[in-house]
Amino acid sequence: MDAVLLEHMMNPKNYGVLEHSNAEGIGKNPHNGEKVIVFLSVSNRNNVFVIEDIRFQAIGCMTTVLAGSIITTEARGLDFGRTEALVSTTLGMLDSIPPEEAACSEMVALALQAAMDTYKERQKDTDFPMITYKISQNCTPQGVDINE
Amino acid sequence: MNRLLVQVHEVWLETLMSAFMSNNTTTKQTLFDFSEIMFRHFTWIENYCIKNDVSYDYERNMIPVKVDNLNTILQDIIARLNRIGLQLVVCDDDALSSRISRDMEYFIFTLKNIPDEPVSAFDMQRTLKGIKLSNEATDALTLFLFEESYKEYELIMIYNYLKAHSSDVNLVRIFQILIDESFFHLNRFGQMMADMGILGVPRTIAKELYVVEDIVAFFENGINEELLAKEECKRLSNAVSDESKELARFFDFVNYQENYHIALMKEALEFYNKVTDVQ
Repeated sequence: MDAVLLEHMMNPKNYGVLEHSNAEGIGKNPHNGEKVIVFLSVSNRNNVFVIEDIRFQAIGCMTTVLAGSIITTEARGLDFGRTEALVSTTLGMLDSIPPEEAACSEMVALALQAAMDTYKERQKDTDFPMITYKISQNCTPQGVDINE
Repeated sequence: MNRLLVQVHEVWLETLMSAFMSNNTTTKQTLFDFSEIMFRHFTWIENYCIKNDVSYDYERNMIPVKVDNLNTILQDIIARLNRIGLQLVVCDDDALSSRISRDMEYFIFTLKNIPDEPVSAFDMQRTLKGIKLSNEATDALTLFLFEESYKEYELIMIYNYLKAHSSDVNLVRIFQILIDESFFHLNRFGQMMADMGILGVPRTIAKELYVVEDIVAFFENGINEELLAKEECKRLSNAVSDESKELARFFDFVNYQENYHIALMKEALEFYNKVTDVQ
């Protein structure tokens, strides 16, 4: 475990609610109710949408908070095109990591994508509700019989 | 009043973190004692909000605690206490504000006289009292401490909220025991994190966790989580037993304590199941 990871665990970046967000999105694990909500403050610079500020909150484990801290740090200041590439890269890496860790990262990536999609929808309909995407990975521990 | 509740919430946690940072036994005990009193202030203000139908929540800001010297964080705590002193004017319960105000005057006086010391709670050395653990065991312990210190904080807040909104004497007794147990665990895990140089403030708790809508499901899930925690303690005990019998025994101890928590949660579950049956 390197110092950068430890730093994110000791002091998660961008954790909490963004009071004046203009888009929000949820990534949800339907298997156990865990979820991540991403708050965005987006500016429209000549039809290029830029993430000016970002926060997230998680109902989940430390790995989810770690993934949220890292991914939101990367996304801050990016335009939607580059953020979607970040989401796509994150989702593409999930096959190579254990399912319980993959589920956490997928939840954060999908919450970020949901927040961007909410923002785009709100350009057409300002009252458009927050979008929720469900993850495909399952982080419920396998082979553990809690009744033993 | 909610702003006051948030401020007291933040200073309580910051003071608790500062207790973990100190290596001076007297200072550590003073800071632990003060943090306990601050938590009681928190519950008094919460009680005022409930009685007076004032909406409130457990939201708070991130609390930066990474310092090189204890004096730096003590100065920040004093500044927070001064701000709370000003904020107390919003409280129209004179007895309550006077009680808190008097306590804080003594806190500030004492904090100003605590000797400074260097802080190593953030040095990331990840060694524990000279115990040499394998990299794998160190990583497992690190993850466990981050996960469980948050979990204990979460449980304190949930049980505190449930207790504040309960009128049944037996339930209040159960919630208070569970709060005390979680405080003990939080204090032990927090101290281990400081000793390993990886101290961090538990993250904020989402409202939908402490405003429990389905109390029966909450306890059923909680019992399952305690059973999983027992498994994790067993795994950790086995992982460290070759290197440290003392640490292994500690995790065995935590494992067996979970049995008591499960028994209390089953007792509370039985109560709520009866209430549901009657309805």
